Amino acid sequence: MQVDVVLFAHFSGFQPDGKGGRHARAFELAEGTTIADVIAMIGLPDEPRVIFVNSRHAPEERELRQGDRLAIFPPVAGG
Amino acid sequence: MSTLTISREPLPEKWARYGGRALTSAIVFTEVPADTDPMGPDNKLVIAPGLLGGTSAPNGGRLSIGAKSPLTGGLKESNSGGTAAHALGKMGVAAIIIEGIPADKTVAYALRLFPDGTVDLVPRHDLKGLGTYETVAVAKGIEAAEHRYSEKVSFIVNGPAGEMGMKSAGIAITDPHGYPNRFAGRGGLGAVMGTKGIKLIAIFEEGLKGKGHADKDAFIAAVRKFSGALTTHAVTSQALPTFGTNVLANIINEAGGYPTRNFSSGQFEGVDGISGETMREITLERGGNVKHGCHAGCVIQCSRYYVDKDGHYMTKGPEYESAWSLGADCGISDMDTVAALDRKCGDIGIDTIEAGVMIAVYMASGKIAFGDGAAAMTVLDEIGRGTDLGKVFGDGAEATGLHFGVKNIPVVKHQGLPAYDPRPIQGIGVTYATSTQGADHTAGYTITSNVLAVGGTVDPLKPEGQAALSQGLQIATAMLDSLGFCIFVAFAVLDMPEAFEAIHEMAAAHTGDEWDADALMQLGKETLTYERLFNEHAGFTNADDRLPKFFLEEPLAPHDAVFTVTDEELDSVHSFVPEVAAQLGIK
Repeated sequence: MQVDVVLFAHFSGFQPDGKGGRHARAFELAEGTTIADVIAMIGLPDEPRVIFVNSRHAPEERELRQGDRLAIFPPVAGG
Repeated sequence: MSTLTISREPLPEKWARYGGRALTSAIVFTEVPADTDPMGPDNKLVIAPGLLGGTSAPNGGRLSIGAKSPLTGGLKESNSGGTAAHALGKMGVAAIIIEGIPADKTVAYALRLFPDGTVDLVPRHDLKGLGTYETVAVAKGIEAAEHRYSEKVSFIVNGPAGEMGMKSAGIAITDPHGYPNRFAGRGGLGAVMGTKGIKLIAIFEEGLKGKGHADKDAFIAAVRKFSGALTTHAVTSQALPTFGTNVLANIINEAGGYPTRNFSSGQFEGVDGISGETMREITLERGGNVKHGCHAGCVIQCSRYYVDKDGHYMTKGPEYESAWSLGADCGISDMDTVAALDRKCGDIGIDTIEAGVMIAVYMASGKIAFGDGAAAMTVLDEIGRGTDLGKVFGDGAEATGLHFGVKNIPVVKHQGLPAYDPRPIQGIGVTYATSTQGADHTAGYTITSNVLAVGGTVDPLKPEGQAALSQGLQIATAMLDSLGFCIFVAFAVLDMPEAFEAIHEMAAAHTGDEWDADALMQLGKETLTYERLFNEHAGFTNADDRLPKFFLEEPLAPHDAVFTVTDEELDSVHSFVPEVAAQLGIK
């Protein structure tokens, strides 16, 4: 299945194609892959993060589905 | 200003524990008739550093400016960074109260406070009508010629919009480099300053030392504890200093709560162009500064300067709210365009939030197109020139929307909504609706738990728990505003118990009074009680604590959400007011 992965702030340097940036990448994943699996795959640092699947907050144990958009942020705030 | 005289009075004992917002709100409540014309002689402009202003409390240099608001018609506290608060604190000034109106409306005065405690009021009629940047440049020149000027001066400046009495006019405060780029922006307090004939306030602090403490060792220990928390929490130690407040653009957009084209969508396809990440990349490429504090003692350092293609200073790095209002809400995705609009707002002295929301409302009328940055600039030019149309624009989003017959005008208590749509982020809708300040995100920043997973989590799309979340944050914010803290300390305070402890330890060690967690919350409640009662006296009822109907009726993409918190829950937010009013002996 295909899932779009997009990383923000200082996580954007962890995209596996090495190009960095915040443009979504299409990942080819096996059925049953969880968010935690993707995090391990791309080697994000072990620190808190805020995760959205299709614009809704999602826990790391969530299994991804074909066509999902997975967005991962480090802790951010402002205003 | 009616008699052009200056007098000094001791801080009443009953307000000894107040500073910042608590003090400005208590003074306005007590001394300004709630039904008075905000542009008339009975309104007062009150300027106060926080209780810890003038000390080394980390991020403790915020300034409160209060008055009856010409925009909302209620009690306003507009809060700003910049160097003025610490300067006033070091001088031992609890508050400046500017009252009356000069007989001659053509005048412009400078109020000057000197390190030896002397204060004078001098005519500066040549400054009348000048933009904030030119005002500061000319004022520096005059003071240098009189050998008064040094780098250790803070200016509080009114722009031409305020002098012309426009309801979106803010008051500029200079930053550590002397740029008038920090703003007490909201609520039209520049218009009040304009009625007083005060063009600028200069605070000279050469040679002044920080305030002493009742228990210096305990104060220093608490400062270290607080500073340690701020430099440890991921938000205050990494995200904010690296990307500034505009790091929020992408996450609020991802959550579907990034108001786009006058609140008609929750996601903006051009967000990347105006995001904090892009702003940082552009600024680094051009050799600009990407990390500094807006006042001494800031350990978060979220400020930055935006520079033009030649590397010259344009404006402060537009904050998240400004980049959103002048960007996404207007359908504009170009950072240079947003920065130029931000600079223009700063120079004519108007609130960037109200300005962007107003331009977006004007765009919704069809008179100009969404995305047209040049047309947006002509709107700001009209304000600066004070044309008839400019006066409509300068009075803000509601005035403009009514004038041009726009259906969806995003305001509460006549003040434009900030950068979070209350349909997919319902907690912030409670704050917008119920805040004494009108639509104001900073009054109770529920984005923390609703979106950012700071201080726990509350599902942003559901109504449950939002009223309690907003109430707690409104009380805590009023407390932080009164002590003089930047509200960004809350990100650490909400997650780290030791940071909260350090706050009452600093207050206790500084003042010698007893402070604990309950006392801090009581300070917040008392502050809100003055504001709430003033607003009631001014004619506000629960019916004013509501969002515009379209937020309840028109679903917002991508979540197809509407605001569903009930009126009963909204009305529960100020449930503590009668009890606290009785404790204070006020009605």
